[in-house]
Amino acid sequence: MFGLNKIIPINSDYKFLNYRKFFYIVSSIAIFLSMLLLFFKGLNLGIDFKGGTLIEVSTKNTDIGELRDILSPNFNEVSLQEFGDENTIIIRLQNENNQESIETVNKVKQIINNKVDEFRRSEFVGPTISSELLWKGFQAVSFALFAILIYIWLRFEWQFGFGAVVALTHDVLFTLGVLSFLNIEFSLSTIAAVLTIAGYSINDTVVIFDRVRENLRKYKKLELLDLFNMSINNTLSRTVMTSITTLLALLSLYIFGGEVIKPFALTMIIGVVIGTYSSVFIAVPTLLVFKFRPQDEDEN
Amino acid sequence: MKNYPLWKVFVVFILLSLGIIFAIPSILYKEDTGSWYLDNRLNLGLDLQGGSYLLLEVQTDVLIKEEFENFSDTIRIIAREKRIKINNIEKINESLKVRFESSDKLKDIRQEFLQNYRSVKFNITNNIVSITIDEIFKKTIQDSAIKQSLEIVRKRIDESGTKEPLIQRSGRNRILLQLPGVKDPERIKDLLGKTAKLNFHMVDDDDAKSLSLNIAPFGRMIVSDIENAEIKYLLEKKSRVGGENLIDANASFDPTEGHAVSFRFDTTGAQKFGKATSENIGKRFAVVLDGVVITAPVINSAITGGSGIITGNFTSQEATDLAVLLRAGALPAPLEIVEERSVGPGLGADSIAAGKIASIIGMILVCIFMILIYGSFGFIANISLIANLFIIIALLGTIGATLTLPGIAGIVLTIGMAVDANVLIFERIKEENTKNKKIYETIKKGFDRALSTILDANITTLIASLLLFVFGSGPIKGFSITLSLGVIASMFTALMLTNLLVHLYISFNSKKEINL
Repeated sequence: MFGLNKIIPINSDYKFLNYRKFFYIVSSIAIFLSMLLLFFKGLNLGIDFKGGTLIEVSTKNTDIGELRDILSPNFNEVSLQEFGDENTIIIRLQNENNQESIETVNKVKQIINNKVDEFRRSEFVGPTISSELLWKGFQAVSFALFAILIYIWLRFEWQFGFGAVVALTHDVLFTLGVLSFLNIEFSLSTIAAVLTIAGYSINDTVVIFDRVRENLRKYKKLELLDLFNMSINNTLSRTVMTSITTLLALLSLYIFGGEVIKPFALTMIIGVVIGTYSSVFIAVPTLLVFKFRPQDEDEN
Repeated sequence: MKNYPLWKVFVVFILLSLGIIFAIPSILYKEDTGSWYLDNRLNLGLDLQGGSYLLLEVQTDVLIKEEFENFSDTIRIIAREKRIKINNIEKINESLKVRFESSDKLKDIRQEFLQNYRSVKFNITNNIVSITIDEIFKKTIQDSAIKQSLEIVRKRIDESGTKEPLIQRSGRNRILLQLPGVKDPERIKDLLGKTAKLNFHMVDDDDAKSLSLNIAPFGRMIVSDIENAEIKYLLEKKSRVGGENLIDANASFDPTEGHAVSFRFDTTGAQKFGKATSENIGKRFAVVLDGVVITAPVINSAITGGSGIITGNFTSQEATDLAVLLRAGALPAPLEIVEERSVGPGLGADSIAAGKIASIIGMILVCIFMILIYGSFGFIANISLIANLFIIIALLGTIGATLTLPGIAGIVLTIGMAVDANVLIFERIKEENTKNKKIYETIKKGFDRALSTILDANITTLIASLLLFVFGSGPIKGFSITLSLGVIASMFTALMLTNLLVHLYISFNSKKEINL
């Protein structure tokens, strides 16, 4: 209609896999750096996983400096941060002891009551809960990877499952690395984002694998490398198109969805980019490791 | 219509109508109307409508500890009656070791002890007795404590005037509370944080020596004053009457003492109270709440009517809350708040507004993009997308799901991902279009080829989303529900509705060609 559908030609013929070594190196470095970051810097764990108290207030006739001056003498580990605009402030307190901290919420509220227009939100997570939540989150991500592996194995061949899980692990580690690097808060909703990224990335990978499987049946004589390149090109416009629409929606969520949802939207944006990259440059090349043609071998 | 079966047209029509009909209540109505149809609405989660989520842990360890204290008291009493000397008693881990001076009569002691406590292990080795409890005994104590706690928490919350609270057991020893619309979570936490164990003890004012040494003789205990921890009272350990015999308590006002709580005993309680007061005129009577003395007035005359008032420098709110606590009864064990998430109504409203804007703008961006790329087919995909949203909202409303902030994120994400199935189909049609001459065959092949890809790709997303549901808590569950419903709805709209619309478009398109 507007001719924009010709941006990606139907018969595109990019030799993605011929540069696979380059992308292996890029990804290896990225994963290595991510692991270094995760190991030495760690994630910026929010109170969901570290325990503690968070209070969001909208203030009146005061600023963050004054509130800090009022609160600091009373509490050991208190940090304040503007949240979106200068009248909305987040107060974080790390707790040493459970009971103490639920009273901390009351104490904070009493001290700053006359400076505050509204207590918008208060959260308290005790230490037993935070470690449980972390464990549950870890379980959810591991089970998801495992369940996806099983499903791909059943629907395709085990080699495809291997490729998918390599790509997924890559996505999860890489995303976590970026989160650590950018110091984005890691909370329960980040776990949701990571799992959704896994779902999205696998979705992308499956579409290409599906085409690889189809082409393996169709072109029995073709070199595997060329066949894989062809499959990626066949599905390329779809891969790009879906990434763009998803990113458009996420961008809208990031810009207009409010402060609370921002870290989630940002994590998703990072993950979608990484997930799309890995489907093309990691998942498919991994299949080259296996020298035989699945299924067709015994049929012929 | 050519090449599109009539039954499919019906299915699409019916599902779509249902989607629109059942989405209307959620979109247009905010309040309950009492009508079956209109109340099929989306519930807003606590993070959107404001309210408090609390997770409480029942401190059952305290109960086990109390149980051992009872064992120790009982065995002392029995030993005293039988005139056997106890050298020492100590608690080691989960057992109580009692060292007697001799090994005589220990079997008699065992028999008498086991009459009081069945299912307790009582072992004698020479002159040492060890009392242990097993896991089943512990579990029984815990279970009954949780059940009682649930009951009492429910009463306290009901009394506090919270509407539509959700109170349920969670795991082994926890209670989960969802209190929508609560404006003052601090008050609720105060109400839940008190055990509210009320007991009336006689004060022993004769033994000043023990009090000054701060050592309670057997059968006595030392308790501090609520106002000033420096003030101590020496009390009889055994209470004369307790809160379990109360049948009513109300906040009242006493002209001389200020805010007070008036109470009334049941028949048994009234008898015990009457007996205690008539035998001890001129002595002091202490009202002990959760281990501190609230007040200890001198008994001027026997109180036989079974009612009285408790005073003690209360504010109006404190008196009201104490009355609530006494009416609801005492918790068997203290409750600890291990997690709290409270959202004020302001933030909730802001989140809804922001979510709406993000959804609408996301939607517009995606729609524009689709038309730019696919032209008329993009327009078709957009109709499917809008239908998709109606279906998601209708499903969420009819299954009574709760919309949370992450849930809104799930919907926005679905907008982006839902067009995927359409894109897959259009790309296939585009490919087939270069090979085939017959238009309907091209379309049929496009849909058929895309089918298995769409299924595989979406089922994997559903797996991830299902695991989120299983392992996620509250708001995250909301996200997984909207995402899953979105994926399912997008498969329906792409495979059925888009298909129908493409056929419609072709039959009205005079040129009979696909411009993709």
